[in-house]
Amino acid sequence: MPGQFVMARLPGNEVFLRRPFSICRTRGRDIGIMYKVVGRGTGLLSSICKEEEMLLLGPLGKGFHITEGASHFIVAGGIGLAGVLMLAERLGARARVFFGCGTRTEAALTGEVAGNTTAICTLDGTYGFCGSVIDLLAKNLQEYHKDSVEIYACGPDGMLRALKSLLEKERLPCQVLVEERMACGLGLCFGCTKKTLDEKEPYKRVCKEGPVFDLWELCL
Amino acid sequence: MQRGTGVRPMGTLSVDLLGTKLGNPIMNASGTLGYGREIEPLWRVETMGAYVTKGLSLKPHHGNPTPRVWEERCGMINSIGLQNVGVERFFKEYFSFFQRKEMPIIVNFFGFTEGEYVRCAAAIKPDRLIVALEMNLSCPNIKEGGISFGKEATMVKSVVGKVKNVTNIPLIAKLTPEVSNIVEIAQAAREAGADALTLVNTMPAAVVDTANRCIPIRGGLSGPALKPVALRAVYDCARAVPIPVIGAGGITDVTDALAFFMAGAKAIQIGTATFVDPYTIPKIIKGLNTYLDARQCSGIKEIIGIAHE
Repeated sequence: MPGQFVMARLPGNEVFLRRPFSICRTRGRDIGIMYKVVGRGTGLLSSICKEEEMLLLGPLGKGFHITEGASHFIVAGGIGLAGVLMLAERLGARARVFFGCGTRTEAALTGEVAGNTTAICTLDGTYGFCGSVIDLLAKNLQEYHKDSVEIYACGPDGMLRALKSLLEKERLPCQVLVEERMACGLGLCFGCTKKTLDEKEPYKRVCKEGPVFDLWELCL
Repeated sequence: MQRGTGVRPMGTLSVDLLGTKLGNPIMNASGTLGYGREIEPLWRVETMGAYVTKGLSLKPHHGNPTPRVWEERCGMINSIGLQNVGVERFFKEYFSFFQRKEMPIIVNFFGFTEGEYVRCAAAIKPDRLIVALEMNLSCPNIKEGGISFGKEATMVKSVVGKVKNVTNIPLIAKLTPEVSNIVEIAQAAREAGADALTLVNTMPAAVVDTANRCIPIRGGLSGPALKPVALRAVYDCARAVPIPVIGAGGITDVTDALAFFMAGAKAIQIGTATFVDPYTIPKIIKGLNTYLDARQCSGIKEIIGIAHE
């Protein structure tokens, strides 16, 4: 299901816990992941050679629910694109993808969503629209009948907060894929929680109840 | 002993713990196997001799904000904040899962005052599936300046004694390793009526995020880094305190498990290793069976405490 993830056990002893990665695509028995080097784990991953073995556990978590008949808007910020790639592929021409990133170099990743109608922006203006992906979405959202819109998003917390305030007035349906430091990936440890508006049990597990949540249930 | 028939002789790993016969002496450490059902897509929870519940409290606890987990080279640090649904909801909604399986459980519980421990223990009704209550003594005593109950023999004696007065269920004291003399604490627990010990809980630790120049997490250290600390506690207490010891701390493979049994543990708990490899528990059970068979041991009892001889 688009939005699900795998826990990858990296080779060697440098990294203790497994690392979660969104499944970007599947081809037969193969799966693809996309990642950005940010720490020890992804650093090690980038040094892995072709045909080296790695243990994967998955697919895990609850993915996106596709609302049939809606106008689909996919919003991705930076490496958050990895979380929505499989969804974009599944929806194909039915989805419009809004992708925002820092620079022209990262904008090259839009090659991954060639099957969709895509709008791109960079924060420094070196490629596409100059500004944030939420500004870009705001410009385009106006033309649509908002009672049949479904938005799917993945990106940094700042982007999700901006998205929430953009959609606040009309409370458009929106599913977001979130990220958190994770230990088990199976719902065993309650390490990777996000705070929600549920008063009885506010902290929900990203790996089990997520990683996709209803934007209107999250405390961002 | 039946050999070569493909039939495993019954009882090889079985142990009697506090009056209950367990199929094997392997359990999860509290809080590392969710509410039990989460592992079922991979293996059946009744593979273990007993399931240890998430730490339960009188009232539900929401837990801490994130980050709640952080990796270290030889382990991890957690600060979950004892998130749980509360003892009442556990027995209303989660216990039936174990009843259907006829699965023995150990109920871990905690409090932040003596009164909370006592009321929580009193709220747990005896049941033939409840092997014991496991009392988490690492919590801060908020009425005594926030020092952990488990760090002072006098506090241990007082709170264990009061809990013992309100329950007929066997009581296990789970101790923190961050003490000057764990044998003294263990003895205090026994004198107050504890029927067994779980050694050890996580060790207080912190992480510095050098990139952001901050301390993102202070919590409990678990995993391989804790193993030698736990083994020392198990060895010393098994020698000096005449009640069963359950070993816990960094057990990752069958060799680690054997080390704890040889040091005197009657049963063991596995926690963090499950996060690294979710099949660790069934692998260790299988490995112990293989070990006993290869040495023609009649049971795990033969090796418990053997390092003391």
